[in-house]
Amino acid sequence: MLNEYVGIAPKGDLILIKRLCEKLRGRDFLHINSTRAGGGVAEILQRMIPLLQELGINARWEVIEGDKRFFDITKKIHNALQGFTEVLTEEMWEYYFYVNKENSSKIELGADAVFIHDPQPAPLVKFRPSKRRGIWFWRCHIDLSNPQKEICDRLMEYYNEYDASVFSVSNFAIGEKSLEFIIPPSIDPLSDKNVELTEKEIEDILSPYNIPLDRPMILQVSRFDRFKDPIGVIKAYRNVKKYNDCILVLAGSPATDDPEGEVVLNEVKEFAADDPDIFILMLPPFSDKVINALQRAATIVLQKSIKEGFGLTVSEAMWKGKPVIGGAVGGIPLQIIHRVTGFLVHSIEGAAFRIRQFLNSPEMIKRMGEAGREHVRENFLITRQIRDYLSLWYYMETGMKSVFEV
Amino acid sequence: MFEFKSCINIIKSTGKKAHTLQELREHLTTISDESIYHHVYEYFLKGHRLLFTNDFAQWVGDNLEDSVLSERLSNIDPYAFSTVSELRQEIINTIDNHLKESPLPREARPGEEFYFNESVTIIYPVGIRVRNLAEFLIAIQHIDRGCIYYHFYEARTRLGNTMDDFSMWIEYALHKKELADKIRAIDPFMHDIEGIRHRITNLVKEEVTKDMETV
Repeated sequence: MLNEYVGIAPKGDLILIKRLCEKLRGRDFLHINSTRAGGGVAEILQRMIPLLQELGINARWEVIEGDKRFFDITKKIHNALQGFTEVLTEEMWEYYFYVNKENSSKIELGADAVFIHDPQPAPLVKFRPSKRRGIWFWRCHIDLSNPQKEICDRLMEYYNEYDASVFSVSNFAIGEKSLEFIIPPSIDPLSDKNVELTEKEIEDILSPYNIPLDRPMILQVSRFDRFKDPIGVIKAYRNVKKYNDCILVLAGSPATDDPEGEVVLNEVKEFAADDPDIFILMLPPFSDKVINALQRAATIVLQKSIKEGFGLTVSEAMWKGKPVIGGAVGGIPLQIIHRVTGFLVHSIEGAAFRIRQFLNSPEMIKRMGEAGREHVRENFLITRQIRDYLSLWYYMETGMKSVFEV
Repeated sequence: MFEFKSCINIIKSTGKKAHTLQELREHLTTISDESIYHHVYEYFLKGHRLLFTNDFAQWVGDNLEDSVLSERLSNIDPYAFSTVSELRQEIINTIDNHLKESPLPREARPGEEFYFNESVTIIYPVGIRVRNLAEFLIAIQHIDRGCIYYHFYEARTRLGNTMDDFSMWIEYALHKKELADKIRAIDPFMHDIEGIRHRITNLVKEEVTKDMETV
């Protein structure tokens, strides 16, 4: 499987993955999360686990089981960690722990390195086998920069039991532990969402949507969520439209865990009124090929968020050679090098201005699009993330020297 | 024989952050040498803009919007110092001198604070060895950016003599001092890694062509 990335990912990453796998051959590498499908964590694990197995690592992926009550509680914890106000009763905390305890008896927790992804399975650390002390990492994918304090404090009893933690961006980290590492997430260039498509395939995939592909297309792919500022995107588009011909496509999927989604979607539809050049697409879940085709058909991609997690749609678009205009929040500034691979903006006016700049300079679109693709190739492909996980494991095992050679 | 190696960084958080220039300055007095090393010397391993030469200058320029201080911090040559302590003092002095004569810049917006990090560096051979300049010329055009960073930038601190691995090998193994001097004359701050690759390639190509034409 690693060979499939030859000529796509940086060769050095593939070499280092191979070398580290030789050093760690036959060792047990366990990942635990709370869902087998859907979401970025599952997408990466689906690919990473078989790839590591092929290279001689005993990689395993386990998923904790829970009922609706459990996932309602963990959703509240998730929201509170992202800064929303939630109330969790003592009973809820006990149930959260109880479900993890039940899972601990079903999952073989013995391994040389264990990655526990996100808060849902975090209490499993209380059940780490005493006979076999592997290295336990808490891999947090969410933004903990402004958490609800009492919820975060409560989770500390688990957090403190881990040997190290891993966050996606520096400002997501808690800053309470001596061993906090920063490893950004990644995209898989071979997945349906990112694989190369021919012009014909793009046309065929998009034909049901009646989008004119012969006009400049501004695209934003995101949930219909106020933090993604879809109304701001429409305002920016209207500002641009005065002097520049273009169409706007807003594409998103319904989020079952977001009751506000429909309200926002209706607001967006109402605000778009009956502008025939605005296309609002509510795509079913797993519409990866459609999103891929839209990103490839777009002239400019926006991610005008006012609050964001990592915002991997930015890397997805850049991988397709598109210049991206993004809000300077969350993980977006890590992906967009301002004026090199796109523009970081702080206002609707800023977004409009940068769209106009691009539409009037095809050379700039080409230059920044190419720089963006290279930036993603170097920094945000799945092979880099696998390389980093293995490097971190090896570093922790071999005396934690700040410089070492393999 | 020249063996190409490459390196990567894993970022380690220190948990320290600054919202203002004063906070940045305060942390600079106590933060680890490893953190200063990371934010200055390892800047070139990142995809960076040529406007800046270290993370402190970039943050001051981009997020505090103090272009004068940003220029001054960018103009510090980290290879002019034999220890990180000396470099640290120079950065602090630059900020102090600036504060004496200029108004305080604004605070960073929420989410745009400066986060002090350190790094873990992993070095590994990439399986390419060359014996002469012609082989070197082919290799330099195809190796990863991490290789060029390791041999051209990282070497300057590793060897402690501000020289890079490429010119050292060319001078001492191939006895081509003139070419080595030309490589040493490339300004490391005014190019990104692709720019460095391009310049070294051109210099070596000229030399190989000259060698082939010599009778």
